[in-house]
Amino acid sequence: MPSLLVVMIFLPALAAVALLLLDPKATAARARWAALLATVATFFVSWAVAAQYVALPEISSADRMTVHPQLVVRHTWLDLSQAGANSPAIKLEFFLGLDGISVALVVLTTILTVSSVLVSWTAIKDRAAEFYACLLILETGLIGVFCAFDILLFYVFFEFTLIPLFFLVGIWGGPLRRYAAGKFFVYTLAGSLITLLGLISMVVAVVQSTPSLTTPFSIPDLAKALAENPLPEATQTVLFLMIAAGFMVKVPLFPFHTWLPLAHVEAPTAGSVLLAGVLLKLGTYGFLRLLLPMLPIACQKTGLPLIGTMASIGIVYGSFCALSQNDIKKLVAYSSVAHLGFCMLGLFALNTEGISGGVLQMINHGLSTGALFCIVGMFYERYHTRQLNELGGMATKLPLLAVAMVFTSFASIGLPGLNGFVGEFLCLAGMFKAGDGQGVIFAALGALGVVLGAWYLLGVLQHAFFGPVHLPAEDHGHGHEPVADLNAREVAALAPLLTLCLVLGLFPQPLLNLIQPDVEAVAKLYGNVKATMPKTVTTASLTTSPSMALGSETRP
Amino acid sequence: MTDWLKENVLWLIPAAPLLACLWIVLVGQVVRRKYAHRPLVLGLVVSLAASLYLLTVVVPQGFAHDEHEVSHSVITFVYQWFKVGTLDIPVTLRADAMSALMLTMVTSVSTLVAIFASSYMKGDPGYPRFFAAMSLFVFSMCMLVLAGNFLLLFVFWEAVGLCSYLLIGFWFQKPSAAAAAKKAFVVNRIGDFGLILGILLVWQTCGTLDFATLFDSSFVIDQMVRQQPEIFHWICLLLFVGAIGKSAQFPLQVWLPDAMEGPTPVSALIHAATMVTAGVYLVARCTPFFVHAPYIQMAVSGIGAATALIAAITALTQYDLKRVLAYSTVSQLGYMFMSLGAAGAGEGLAIHAVTFAMFHMFTHAFFKAVLFLSAGSVMHAMGDVIDMRRFSGLRKVLPITHWTFLAGALALAGVPLLSGFWSKDEILAVLAAASKGSAHGGFYQVILGIALLTSLMTAFYTFRAYFMTFWGPEKFPEEAGHHPHDAPPAMAGPLAILAIAALGIGLVTGPTHLYGHYLHHTPGLPHADEFPLDPVMMAISSVLAIAGIAVAYLLYVASPGIAQNLKRSLSIGFKISQEGLFIDWCGYKFVAAPLRTLASICEFFDRWVVDTIVDCFGFIPALFGSVIRPVQNGMVQNYGLVMMIGLVVCLISVLRALAGTM
Repeated sequence: MPSLLVVMIFLPALAAVALLLLDPKATAARARWAALLATVATFFVSWAVAAQYVALPEISSADRMTVHPQLVVRHTWLDLSQAGANSPAIKLEFFLGLDGISVALVVLTTILTVSSVLVSWTAIKDRAAEFYACLLILETGLIGVFCAFDILLFYVFFEFTLIPLFFLVGIWGGPLRRYAAGKFFVYTLAGSLITLLGLISMVVAVVQSTPSLTTPFSIPDLAKALAENPLPEATQTVLFLMIAAGFMVKVPLFPFHTWLPLAHVEAPTAGSVLLAGVLLKLGTYGFLRLLLPMLPIACQKTGLPLIGTMASIGIVYGSFCALSQNDIKKLVAYSSVAHLGFCMLGLFALNTEGISGGVLQMINHGLSTGALFCIVGMFYERYHTRQLNELGGMATKLPLLAVAMVFTSFASIGLPGLNGFVGEFLCLAGMFKAGDGQGVIFAALGALGVVLGAWYLLGVLQHAFFGPVHLPAEDHGHGHEPVADLNAREVAALAPLLTLCLVLGLFPQPLLNLIQPDVEAVAKLYGNVKATMPKTVTTASLTTSPSMALGSETRP
Repeated sequence: MTDWLKENVLWLIPAAPLLACLWIVLVGQVVRRKYAHRPLVLGLVVSLAASLYLLTVVVPQGFAHDEHEVSHSVITFVYQWFKVGTLDIPVTLRADAMSALMLTMVTSVSTLVAIFASSYMKGDPGYPRFFAAMSLFVFSMCMLVLAGNFLLLFVFWEAVGLCSYLLIGFWFQKPSAAAAAKKAFVVNRIGDFGLILGILLVWQTCGTLDFATLFDSSFVIDQMVRQQPEIFHWICLLLFVGAIGKSAQFPLQVWLPDAMEGPTPVSALIHAATMVTAGVYLVARCTPFFVHAPYIQMAVSGIGAATALIAAITALTQYDLKRVLAYSTVSQLGYMFMSLGAAGAGEGLAIHAVTFAMFHMFTHAFFKAVLFLSAGSVMHAMGDVIDMRRFSGLRKVLPITHWTFLAGALALAGVPLLSGFWSKDEILAVLAAASKGSAHGGFYQVILGIALLTSLMTAFYTFRAYFMTFWGPEKFPEEAGHHPHDAPPAMAGPLAILAIAALGIGLVTGPTHLYGHYLHHTPGLPHADEFPLDPVMMAISSVLAIAGIAVAYLLYVASPGIAQNLKRSLSIGFKISQEGLFIDWCGYKFVAAPLRTLASICEFFDRWVVDTIVDCFGFIPALFGSVIRPVQNGMVQNYGLVMMIGLVVCLISVLRALAGTM
């Protein structure tokens, strides 16, 4: 019986192939129903897989590896030792698995894909079958990245996602779609080629230092070998910079972000949702999966100051850029730069609080920004404009849409009680604790982004949704069809995202528990999970052993 | 039954308005929209009863006899919000004497305002939305007071900000309301920026955010004082920045006057009686930190004094009745901070400084609520006109409103024996004591001077507004129709109760030390001796209050000509006061506008510099291609030439190599 995991990954792609082969002349109506069916099925399979994962027994701390996939599907793909007498005993594998972090991201992907199909329902009229096929293939690629535990397989999925998204932007995008698609493709590809070079160099370095390792492309084995036999600092630094290059572009970190606003503005709504919601997470996930567990010295010495600087500048700079935008979609795109900055601050705090916050922020940003792009798309379908100065008083015209927008905006600016807050707070707390003054500065800059975030998003609400009703002067040639509020389909697209925003805001602990063991395993490498201050002071410990209460080393 | 109540009273207080909110949002929007106020009023009555009961639970019976016996806080665990690494944040409700007093104030004023609003908001298309937001506000406010740790406090600190945003922007079709709502939230966020960093610093320093651990025993703080006493200055400074934002202190006070765009009950409840006092509550709650940061306490006093003075000067010349009251709120909050900072003169004053600030907050809630609601009643009768130049002489037409407003005004002015007199006098007394102290006496003398001056101005502007509205010739704007009507019973009832409270609550709880002694049971407050009444200050403040009222009477009733002459001869001063010392203007000109410009510069930089560099890299392959492209020009002669050159080079190198080996 094939593993459910494999079914989950390849179901959308199979559906896409079936759609194209069996029904190449499918009408838009047939194609979208087929796509909806496939994505909903994948969604349920992903929940089943998640349930399977959660039901697994806990791994004892002795057996736990730094990267510890479960529900593993592992087959040898190429065995180089069979190639000839002098060939090294190295195997490439088809190695799929899941850990808590990937479960969370996979479920995020399947939820967002369903919403993407629903928001494209009427917006995509031309070549619908191909559109939905691209969307489904993209889903396979995205899930694949999160489940791959072999470096080459990871890289294949990682690059593979570019192709469907290239077509989504380039064919169904806005007026500058070709330029945007080309730029997005070439920029991220250029970055990730350096990453590939870095990854292979890392594998080679490990093969030299640990010759007994036969599966150096396996991420868990590689992490284990590197933990036992770490590379020298200089090598680590060079490898870090090479591998990080592609991920920096993908995240994107300032100053490598300029492809993003352009791609978002030109992409169709579904493309934007998946681009912001999941694709950017491939970058942060790459850092988390391939750098933090592998190159601890470089992450600590180079990564923390470098990425911290880039991320905190990105937060402030991205927020300022967002503040001066007139196009709502571009504004949200720049807000993504700021939000991903939070994510990176958290990850490179290199402690449990920060990394948990970073992972949480990946999920949160996917939900809230995904929802924001959905809303902007629904808006655009009605009024054919996204310019703030052409709109006003939408709350009077479209009350339900306005409620959704207000809710999502507050989720996005990190209102406590909604999902954004816990993630942001953990990222800031992690960074604050991370170390020697610089962490405090990064955290303070990040907190400044929280102020600016409120400014630009509430500005959108003020101009487009509140005030007297103000409609676009000429409707860009589309006539004045009567404009209706959200219909059932649109509510169905938004409801799961908004519900999750609220649930994760009020009850983040189940999600934190899911990722906790994997995060702690990584944080343990950095030695400051439990060893150093601050220690939690409980009333009990106060009464029993006062000397324990403040675990600071400065005290005699 | 009593046992059950004792265990559950804590969560009952916030749960009742939360249920009301959920009911209105889920059901009340559709069903019985006209009765959307009922769940809220019901919930609030439950909360109020529970709060009153809590008063008896928190402090052991017969507390008044031994005021120094600190009672322990009551704690209820709700659920584990999150726990990551060393960050352990449960949702716990914690109540001690301070929170019990504050809850009583919040729920009682809320109940009265909700009843008032049920009539005031009648016929508004957003009726259920109003009461849903208000329920959410009362829930959040109760949770803010009951929060068991700093982060939970921050959560509801932001949540009341959200409610404030939703209610200021209640009439969102008005551009001014939409703008004011955004301004309020963003300016508050500037304060929150400090607060969140302060909270992180507390966590980093003390290793916990739990109030019970930090305040119920002095162990942790004593440890930190021994290790790094200077850190408390940073903690307190950052926490105070949060308080500045929420309590509208200089220089972040700019949002509060604009917040008057919201419906008047909102102004009364959120922007006068409860939410804006959260900053005072925060500083009072963190007294155990602040006593270790005397310089920051001086800053607290200084900022409070500056705010009180600036707001009072501004209030002197406003024509919008609600704005007069708004500036007066800012000014009175400044008073509370002046008092809170008085402990900078010596640790012995700390408990009195906190007590008097909290007591002024308590009395202020009642008399400011009655003033705002009376102003609302005037608006109601005048067809939503609030410009005092457009109506006058309303004494006869609105008798109930007139009397309730007068009661509030007398209390605010500090007329002897009324609420404001007792609380304000105590603040003056503690400042006088601080100015006599050896440490920084001169500083507190200045503060005391400002406080006295402000007290004179308060009496003047309050009665200026009173006389302009209720005295003089009878005049209505055309929006009022022909027969303006006084408050209907649902509005008159709360007005009357609040007016009685404004007159009497100070006398009942002030000189009897009922409030003070109760508050002293709060864990964490340092102990000190009884604070004596200060007859000199009492005399001075009485004289000032009466003088202010007399001047207002002279200028606006007896001989209005003088006021006109004064206005003409002091036109520059008048303009400065009218514009609020141009602080709002400066804030826009020197902060908001430059930041906007910076945003445009970032945008420009992003488009033309960062992206251009990227595109340049994109050109490198093309450029490289264009350089070597001519080589592949398809001409056989060229290829032959290159082949020849290559051959020659090869030959030479081979020959040289051979020569080398031989």
